[in-house]
Amino acid sequence: MAHDILVLVEHAAGKIDSITTQLLAVGSRLAEQLGVKLVGAVIGHGLESVAPALQGGGMDKLVLVDDPDLNLPSGEVQATVMAEVARQIDPRLVLIGYSLVGMELTPAIATKLGMNAWTNCVNVELRDGAVTVTRPLFDSTMHAEIALEENETAVIALQKGSFAARESTAKQATVELLSVDVQNIPSRSKVLEITEEPRGDVDIAKAEIIVSVGRGIGNEDKIHFTAELAEALDGVLACSRPIVDVGWLPRERQVGASGKTVAPKVYVACGISGAIQHLTGMRDAKRIIAINKDPNAPIFQVAHVGVVGDLFEIVPALTKAAKEAKARLD
Amino acid sequence: MNIVVCCKAVPGLVTDLKIGPDGRSLQYQGQLLAINECDEYALEEAVTLKRAHGGQVTVISMGGIKVQDVLYYALAKGSDKAVRIDCESQDPRVASTVLAAALKKLEFDLVLTGTQSRDTLGGQVGIAAANLLGLPFSYAVVEVELRDNNAVRVRKELGGGRYAEVELALPALLCVQTGIQPLTFVPPARRIRARQQPVSSFSVADLDLRDEQLIAKGYRFVAVRPPERAHHVELLQGSPQEIATALLDKIRESV
Repeated sequence: MAHDILVLVEHAAGKIDSITTQLLAVGSRLAEQLGVKLVGAVIGHGLESVAPALQGGGMDKLVLVDDPDLNLPSGEVQATVMAEVARQIDPRLVLIGYSLVGMELTPAIATKLGMNAWTNCVNVELRDGAVTVTRPLFDSTMHAEIALEENETAVIALQKGSFAARESTAKQATVELLSVDVQNIPSRSKVLEITEEPRGDVDIAKAEIIVSVGRGIGNEDKIHFTAELAEALDGVLACSRPIVDVGWLPRERQVGASGKTVAPKVYVACGISGAIQHLTGMRDAKRIIAINKDPNAPIFQVAHVGVVGDLFEIVPALTKAAKEAKARLD
Repeated sequence: MNIVVCCKAVPGLVTDLKIGPDGRSLQYQGQLLAINECDEYALEEAVTLKRAHGGQVTVISMGGIKVQDVLYYALAKGSDKAVRIDCESQDPRVASTVLAAALKKLEFDLVLTGTQSRDTLGGQVGIAAANLLGLPFSYAVVEVELRDNNAVRVRKELGGGRYAEVELALPALLCVQTGIQPLTFVPPARRIRARQQPVSSFSVADLDLRDEQLIAKGYRFVAVRPPERAHHVELLQGSPQEIATALLDKIRESV
């Protein structure tokens, strides 16, 4: 009967994604509570350096599928291989990161395994004996807690940044090579190449102060309010996805899962509701200041300082105060 | 090229979201349904592809009769046909099973949908339906280019400014990202005209599904509650000037 916990490791260009550390932390805690084993699985090609880098994460076993056909695999092939690994391990829970890669793979793997998938989860824990997941609803203004039935299997995709990593353990995972007939997996899609966003004039990831603008600005003509604040604070202007989608600011200014991950000393979010894709990219900022007219906006879930109010009143007042303070110093 | 666009009808403006007396459900007054924003981008992309390459766009949505409003909106936007699946479920496995069964009844080269819905935020149904039908798939697609060899070449996001260029044989399913095309305005006159177009529907019986395939299983909702905050948020109050002064202090002590 399925009982162990399987963590699917995300990696790119030889580097293990930070979500993996968080998945191992959650997985090892659950495995201890349930008295089961924690197994990690990595699929790809040229995985020699991956196994040592994953030791100390609390795994009992690490399974590698290393195959030249997994160098640039399509979503179809990745999901098929991961589902095959899961079949061989026969876990109760499969943990995966809710990254853009995980978003594509999770429903595919779950469908192949005939399991329910729980995506976008901010927590998974054992509560009153039941594996319970917490995930957002309604633009993340509410959270639902869902208890899985006893012995119910599931694929659980966890949001990046929802969990702290655990201290590394002395436990060494046994490493096992698993062979899967990758070449003969029917696939009607192929990855031609991986490309990167060309570098623009600004690298917002290097800034100490970021003023970021979201959909609450309402109009392209009003972006200047936030640009002026950024300048007055000697910071840079950034934005959330909707602003780039409508073409008001270039892609290089976008903070979030699809754009840049930033961790400045100060992040001033103006009219940003705080969709999870945005929070993923800025929740590690040292001090988050949120200005939003909606007190239920999810941005206040991560903010240190909040102003529930009209950004067209607050932002110009702050710009003026910052300019005056600068003038006094000169 | 024939394209099917899967659009979810979601509550429109919701201003009074409350937790129900059972603690496990949500209550709100929003009776009007609107097209899920992510899916509206899929619709725009479908109409753009149709204009460039010809063919037909069919919009499909699942739900009760109120969903027709969303279908009429899609017709006004340039969809040629509209189909409603008369079935309601928020369970991703049930929804993708029903959707896959409905897609089987339609002829298409390409299925387009968005990345996730604003109400359940699951992002599962498109990719799950593709897998049930054995279609190649891509998620978070930002560009679609039709190729001569009965294939599409797409650019999909991998996160952090990285992309994969993928070629998929048709028929295929794509979950498109927001911003793939600019959203267009639909004149009211066209919206009114669209309401005279027929909307066909599939019942569950039409789709040859067994009752057990329509039942969510394996879990129960324990509670719905406002999210816990990562830490205490200090809310500032006062005049804009007072707030500005306080904010500036906070900013300066942080750098």
